Amino acid sequence: MIVGEDLRQAFVVATYELRKYLRSRRLIGMGVLLALIVGLILGLPPALGSPYPSTPNDFVGTFAGFTSLLAVLCGVLFAADALCSEHEKRTGYFLFPNPVRRETIVVGKLVASLAASWLILFLYYGVASVAALVVTRTLSWDVGLSAAYALVYVACVVGIAFLLSSVLKGTIASTVLTFFLFTLIFGIVGALLQVGDVSPWFIPTQAAAIISNVLSPPSVPPGFPLFVPDPPTSLAVFAGYFGVSSILATALFRRRELKT
Amino acid sequence: MTEPIAVKGLGKDYGAFTALGALDLAIPAGTCFGYLGPNGAGKSTTIKILTNLIRPSRGHATLFGVDVQRSPTQALRKVGAVIETPEFYGYLSPLEVLAYAGRLRGMSRTALASRSEAVLKTVKLTGWADKRVETFSKGMKQRLAVGQALLHEPDLLILDEPTSGLDPRGMAEVRDIVKSLKREGRTIFMSSHLLGEVQEVCDAAALIDHGKLLLQGTLDELAKRADTTAFQATFLAPPNPDELAWIGTLPGVKAVSPSGNGVVEIRLADGPEAQAAVIDSIVRAGLRLTAFRPIGTALEQLYLEQIQETEQ
Repeated sequence: MIVGEDLRQAFVVATYELRKYLRSRRLIGMGVLLALIVGLILGLPPALGSPYPSTPNDFVGTFAGFTSLLAVLCGVLFAADALCSEHEKRTGYFLFPNPVRRETIVVGKLVASLAASWLILFLYYGVASVAALVVTRTLSWDVGLSAAYALVYVACVVGIAFLLSSVLKGTIASTVLTFFLFTLIFGIVGALLQVGDVSPWFIPTQAAAIISNVLSPPSVPPGFPLFVPDPPTSLAVFAGYFGVSSILATALFRRRELKT
Repeated sequence: MTEPIAVKGLGKDYGAFTALGALDLAIPAGTCFGYLGPNGAGKSTTIKILTNLIRPSRGHATLFGVDVQRSPTQALRKVGAVIETPEFYGYLSPLEVLAYAGRLRGMSRTALASRSEAVLKTVKLTGWADKRVETFSKGMKQRLAVGQALLHEPDLLILDEPTSGLDPRGMAEVRDIVKSLKREGRTIFMSSHLLGEVQEVCDAAALIDHGKLLLQGTLDELAKRADTTAFQATFLAPPNPDELAWIGTLPGVKAVSPSGNGVVEIRLADGPEAQAAVIDSIVRAGLRLTAFRPIGTALEQLYLEQIQETEQ
């Protein structure tokens, strides 16, 4: 049970984690990447003589196509090394002998990872919405829904990254595995499941299609076996992965001994 | 009164390897206790269990009567610890490191500001207060580690080789800090393999090797148990083999072995009286003796004896 003292300590841990993202330039790096994506999406059509999409859904849909990648990068930069680095870099020798529970440390780090990730996605959707408003003179509720789905999806990514960070010994292994899990492994597993006629509704990257689909629903030709996730199921999948991964990560981090 | 550290049947196994057997130890309040042993003896394992970094395989440890495994946060509340040479978050300055530790411990801003200034002065890092730790040498990190352990004015300090990585001046400074804390009546549990260090600052000590407690007591008690009969005699000119053989026949002499440059190691069967008689005979025989002193300190001799026994 997390109590008042733990909440205060979790807040302290979270503020120092956020300071880490700022000082190690991870937050700025993500900001630069975000600016690059926005610059390309907004700059390329005029440069190539193409018109912008005319509806807000189509306009923000272009942005939403990159949301999953941004979410994965958030998981990689803000979560993948959060727990294992305390062991690998021996900073645990400073942190752990303080009267603070390991669970509290995990909660603090989780809060910081979510805050940083949500900030990035909030900025991304903010810029996309303002641009859509300027170009199409209107905005739809679907944009807000897509953003909300993205925020839940990034929580799922962060949760899984924390689990890997609690299991693996090295920060590099944890970071690389988090990245390839979401950019490659889940994709391969999802495709193979579909080949085997199994619905991949429980694969996070497949479920994440709701982020784009809410803006521009996919047109599935009859007889074509394309999996189209439904939002309630996908949100439950994201929440499930986040919840289970976070609980497991906390339990594993609590049990892990500092032997190095 | 509850002892600051009480350990009963404490042990730790790593698979088939026993890092710590079944340790029983009780450290009374206000004691500066040296925890001696060679590398790999089990010193760090004990300290890691005491500070909740690892779990014991058997037994239990309490700090001020609170079980470390059951209630680690409560047990560690009045404890300051330096374990090995900890790494700090490189992006923080010493002031920020101290603020992190202090805020986790619930220190007020005012207390934190004044204590931070004081401990940085104590560990001589005032000039580096705002510099990032990533630029620090190992010795500077060790000073910072000592500083953060002192920040909340703990009743118990657990120090795992606190002078490790420091230059001779830094070592002397840390020893002075420990001595001043001792004068303030704080309890100090300090592991070391530097016997001189323990002898200089501690009141009592325990010796462990291969995970087993070999002996413990006050430094005086330990000194009395030591074999203090080995001496080093230095001659103006190296004694010839006949002279060496003659020294070997003197009453009370057990063994004689030259170690070069006019230095001869003499082991005596008895204490000061045999020593005086041997010196007298050597001088009377016209051998020009320039120095005659015990080899090592009592604690050193005891340490070597005990370690040798466990090796056998």
